[in-house]
Amino acid sequence: MKVLDDFSNIFKRYDLDLEKTGEAREVSKDATMQEIAQFVVDGDDEGILPAVQKALESKSPLDVINDALIAGMNEVSRLWDEGIYFLPQVILSSDAMNVGIAECEAKMGKAMDRKSTVVTHTAEGDIHDIGQVIVNALLNANGFKVVNLGADVPVEKVVAACKEHRPVMVTGTALMTTTMTAFPKIAHQLKAAGLNVPFICGGGAVCEEYVTSYDLGVWGKEASQAPGMAEDATAGESWESMRGKWNG
Amino acid sequence: MNAKERVMAVLNHQKPDRMPCFGANSTVTYEQMEKVGAYWPEGHNKGEAMAKQALAAYSVLGFDAVRVPYCQTFEAVALGCIRKPGKIREIEGIPGIEHPPPYKLDDSPEFPPDFLSRGYIPELIKAVEILKKEVGDEVPIVAGIIGPFTIAGSLLDSVPLLKATFKAPQKIRPFLDVGEKAGTALAKALVDAGADIIACEDMTASPELIAPKTYKEFELEYQRKQFDAISVPTILHICGNVDAIIEWMGQTGADILSLEPKASAQLARDKCGPDAILMGGVDTATTLFMKDAETVKEGCEESIADGIQILAPGCAVAPGTPTENLLAMVEVAKAH
Repeated sequence: MKVLDDFSNIFKRYDLDLEKTGEAREVSKDATMQEIAQFVVDGDDEGILPAVQKALESKSPLDVINDALIAGMNEVSRLWDEGIYFLPQVILSSDAMNVGIAECEAKMGKAMDRKSTVVTHTAEGDIHDIGQVIVNALLNANGFKVVNLGADVPVEKVVAACKEHRPVMVTGTALMTTTMTAFPKIAHQLKAAGLNVPFICGGGAVCEEYVTSYDLGVWGKEASQAPGMAEDATAGESWESMRGKWNG
Repeated sequence: MNAKERVMAVLNHQKPDRMPCFGANSTVTYEQMEKVGAYWPEGHNKGEAMAKQALAAYSVLGFDAVRVPYCQTFEAVALGCIRKPGKIREIEGIPGIEHPPPYKLDDSPEFPPDFLSRGYIPELIKAVEILKKEVGDEVPIVAGIIGPFTIAGSLLDSVPLLKATFKAPQKIRPFLDVGEKAGTALAKALVDAGADIIACEDMTASPELIAPKTYKEFELEYQRKQFDAISVPTILHICGNVDAIIEWMGQTGADILSLEPKASAQLARDKCGPDAILMGGVDTATTLFMKDAETVKEGCEESIADGIQILAPGCAVAPGTPTENLLAMVEVAKAH
């Protein structure tokens, strides 16, 4: 008699497999908008341009941005949160969305209104900017203006960018423990300059105890928290209250 | 048993006198540098200093192996990348790769015939030769190479490489091919110089960066080819939570799988079978670097309960890590 030695299938919910390979949900009943959203979901930065141009013949640029481009990117965020999408797909989708937004902004003759400005950077000496790439994509998708300082950014440059752009929030990413020591220096200089802006620090090497050991610091556990934190900062929450809410 | 007998016992699936403890990745720290009188940046580019620092793992910490090198740039520099010094302000750190990278996706990367005499590779080989002379009979020498996907990431820069995994996956093959040839050629030279174990670090192949299907459809075959060509025992280290690819990591031919604590050793055991040797321990940033010896011990015990057979820092040790935290790991190993 064959003895059943693997019980894994007995308890298996077959629909879970389906969920794992799940596809993007429809974001708009309007076929034109849905097509554009699908280009964002597919990360197709070439196909999206003619689709956006065609849509702009009959629709307002703002509607295309909100109901197709950002709606599509929200769907990408969901697929990422659920572990269905991986980092390369998020980057490609963000690129496609930005191609579409640039076209809409050209039509409007001005940049789209953003909720607020966030300065993002990867620590001095750290060339691993992957975490920041995700943060940028998600903030962008959620309607924030991102001042992207890139990787390996000196302390002074971060502080100068904050003085210039007056962001509601600053983010710092570090993958290496050797580079995250720049964060307290940045926090100190921001404070000295009277900029009491929440400074979200995260990345592979960065842990809560470290970030909460200096003023302004709020620990960012996951890149996906960035839009929610930016909403709080835009609403005027202080770094102390954000730390209380997101950390500890 | 001496350290070498202990480690070899585990590799031969025999019972060691106690659990071995050593790093699959760099374990050198500023405090160890002070103790042995060898510092960075020399430890990154001079064979003598590199060997001296490696010995600290054995003489200062009591680890069961010595390990070189301390950065991930050796193959990449020999393939045309420019090494970016690790120095930030006054502190010497870990070198990286300068931007822009030498290649674009449509280029054809080359594997230079004089690869082994390029960049800093001769110094790495010299370091292994020195270690062999100094402690070769009693301590295993672990020499590090970099995996094909990670070398491809140095040649192309990581974001273009990641995009290509979905947009033009066939175009990454020539880069993986050169990356595999580079790592394998370096591994063979290091074995000839006296390395007992080859540890392959492949950070960019982590599911935190690429889709698991990219690992399965592309990287797996190059890693298999690489491990197949290496005559000594091998370690495969991929950073982050590798649960989604652990099954295929077990099919690469690597003798030891090195895991971070965020990956499940139990799952690795289920997926890779009884012969896979699992190595890991505590998180290098949040625990080893930031916490105290007691927390390190707790982390080690958890990993051992999870099925780890060789105690190790979960990834490369941060150079500012306190010595007492590394000594705490050895203390735990001695009790098992």
